[in-house]
Amino acid sequence: MPGIDECLLEAMRLPGARGAALIDWTSGLALGTVGESPGGDQETAAAEAAEIARLAAEQHAFAPDEDPEAPAAADTELPVEDLIVSNRDSYHVLRFVGSSFDGSVFLHLWLARAEGNLALARIRLGEMAERLVLA
Amino acid sequence: MTVVRTTEPPRLPVRDKAAARARGWGGVSPMLTRLAAERATGVLVREHGTLHLAEGLVVQAESRHAPGLGALLTAHGTLAPEAWHQAVNEAADHHRVGRHLVDAGHLPLGALELCHLAALYDAAYFVLAPSSTPPRFRYGPVHWLGSVRPVPVEALERETLRRRDVLHRIWPHPGMDGIPLARTHLPGTPALTRRQLAVLELVDGVRTATDIARELGHLAFHTLVDVRRLTAAGVVTTAAPARGQSPPGGTRTTPDRGQSPPPPDQPPADPGQPPGRGRPPQGRGQPRRPETDGADGYAPPVPAEPLPPDPHITLLKRLRDALEAL
Repeated sequence: MPGIDECLLEAMRLPGARGAALIDWTSGLALGTVGESPGGDQETAAAEAAEIARLAAEQHAFAPDEDPEAPAAADTELPVEDLIVSNRDSYHVLRFVGSSFDGSVFLHLWLARAEGNLALARIRLGEMAERLVLA
Repeated sequence: MTVVRTTEPPRLPVRDKAAARARGWGGVSPMLTRLAAERATGVLVREHGTLHLAEGLVVQAESRHAPGLGALLTAHGTLAPEAWHQAVNEAADHHRVGRHLVDAGHLPLGALELCHLAALYDAAYFVLAPSSTPPRFRYGPVHWLGSVRPVPVEALERETLRRRDVLHRIWPHPGMDGIPLARTHLPGTPALTRRQLAVLELVDGVRTATDIARELGHLAFHTLVDVRRLTAAGVVTTAAPARGQSPPGGTRTTPDRGQSPPPPDQPPADPGQPPGRGRPPQGRGQPRRPETDGADGYAPPVPAEPLPPDPHITLLKRLRDALEAL
């Protein structure tokens, strides 16, 4: 049963992983970090990643269609699963962690583009986010 | 063309670490800095709550303004209330309630750590708010929860200061955190998030932000963010102030500057005004903010007038801080 550190270390074992962090997007606080930080400063990287995560999570355009038949969405259900940002030399995968208590937390994985496998990272990160909070 | 109006909150601030180091301490509690240096174990009691230390690290924070770990875990069904009570009864004497919950299979370690850290930083924000009473420290055993994920004092103080900046940037009105809130009922409500709608439903002219957090089982600081954003959007305003109630949360960023005068641009309504009569903020949806969004990414909240209301009180507070620092 993984804790925060085990989860981040597991993310770092993905090919091309340069850094991983668990961040609260309301406050911009990094609850845990492993490896390098994009831009060099852990606190700044967390605040900047929190901005884009919050934006994506709150925009109605990115939310799935409401099913009138389905019961009202629970608090834990997140409108967005993940976010991928790519640039010339790296990928950033932001995976939202659905927690039943009042959290607004996501995993941020930074991958070197040359070695990273985006599809694999996305799937693994989803599994990790789930295992982190589910027994 | 449909125009969806949302109020964009300002950028999250980042503290200038070099400046903090140059000062030599976090600027929150000199006593706490000293206790961390001597690796003390015990309880720091401040006006708005307590911090529990183990070997100089913060292992738990409790404040009446923030929901506790038990409340957060049980409010949304993460943990059955019986399981929580059982763990507290069985393991509190051995100071390992957290470990007991995980070992008994009630809670994954990740969920416990996440919730614990969230609750700790949440309560610490209020505990480390400027106080009018001197802090006390009792050396003693570690907290009954046990050590789940201890936080260094420096990290906690820095985050607390940053959180004050987060709120100040959204809507600069430090006093509003302890004041009953009311709806403005103005036409043209901007698009709100699900969390904001949940908060808005409980705004009734009586409840304060922390009351709403408690009822929803939400983190108190996160609710303060929701409320400030709703205020900035012109949806919520402060109702008449409750007498004898001291507002929690940071009223000032530094303890030696005394009371904060109102921000340069007045928030929608004076706390003294009756509910429902508040002015909407200028340019609804995009209210003016004071010059805090500096190009360097961080600028401390500066009071409009440098002079605090009573120089005697300021002098006494500075004396107290200096004595505390000895």
